Amino acid sequence: MSDSLLLAVLIGIAFGVALEQAGLGNAAKLTGQFYLTDFTVMKVMLSAILTAMLGAFWLGRFGLIDPAQVHVPETFLWPQIVGGMIFGVGFALAGLCPGTACVSASSGRLDGLAAIGGLFAGVLATGLAFPALAGFYGSGARGVVTLPATAGLPEGVVVLLVVLAALGVFRLIATREQEG
Amino acid sequence: MSATRLLGATALALGVAAPFAGTPASGGKAADAIDVAALARMVAARQDHVSAIDLARWIRDQRPGLRVIDVRTPEAFAHFAIPTAENIPIERIPGARFGDEEMVVLYSEGGAHAAQAWVFLKAAGVRNAVFIAGGLGDWFDEVISPVLPADPPPGQAARIAEVTEISLYFGGTPRRAAPGETSTAASSDSDTAALIANARRRGC
Repeated sequence: MSDSLLLAVLIGIAFGVALEQAGLGNAAKLTGQFYLTDFTVMKVMLSAILTAMLGAFWLGRFGLIDPAQVHVPETFLWPQIVGGMIFGVGFALAGLCPGTACVSASSGRLDGLAAIGGLFAGVLATGLAFPALAGFYGSGARGVVTLPATAGLPEGVVVLLVVLAALGVFRLIATREQEG
Repeated sequence: MSATRLLGATALALGVAAPFAGTPASGGKAADAIDVAALARMVAARQDHVSAIDLARWIRDQRPGLRVIDVRTPEAFAHFAIPTAENIPIERIPGARFGDEEMVVLYSEGGAHAAQAWVFLKAAGVRNAVFIAGGLGDWFDEVISPVLPADPPPGQAARIAEVTEISLYFGGTPRRAAPGETSTAASSDSDTAALIANARRRGC
């Protein structure tokens, strides 16, 4: 096993532990986000975005990582809009996303196991139907789209704006939780 | 100070410092590199060129922001040029500057230099640029001396009238095709390839 694969296993385990610790293996907690009764998902997501963004930004500035080597997935507008909607419906129905389904199943929850079964069935069905979907799969190609390039702002300014937005949302959630 | 507040304050401090961090040591490369894949997609989607008759229509209609650029030598430009064109020889294209709201239409003698100039402009980040695929040959075939179908199929009368009108506007001489001759007034803009093939055959 190569070093990067070994690293992936370790990071994956840490990711799973962090999700379970945050309570995200619990479908009821996840669906609470959709009904705006539980903001754990929002808080975990924003924390992860801030950590990853500030980490990648400052590690790059200090020369510890090469930002040019970080893979940015390309944008395919139409398939990503449709795929995102299907993903959202599945997320709200099952109460689990792929990562949290793995965590849920690992901790012995049967709904997590069922969600993983559905996940593999969906992957298989998409693979089998791919010849018919291929045209749509590549439609609306926009290349690599990033916030700084789209907004025409320096990367550092976008980092600051995202930090401010996230902290603002944290404050809103805290206020709401105190009231409730 | 609670751990949560400490984390929030740390994020804020790192965020506030971010705009003053300058550009990364090696990260600038990615931003400056030409997105070849995006250019290839534009070419495949035929968004890289327009037909000569479309350019003629834009010139006649005084399309806002239109800049017609002749990339040939000043000598060739002085001899003949498309009306309203500016002369920027190919070797000066890399230094040319265009605004985001401008539509740059490049042409050359045969089309190759204009296509190369298009890549140079795209690499320099020019937003709206296209070229005439067949160069001045297309201009003469489609605008100056268009050959119209002898008996146009129904539904094409309006288009043929428009081509005739545009040709006359530029001092051209549209004429009806002789029996067996192929028309150069394409039935639709997507027939440009057929037009060019036709022009090649006639040795333009």
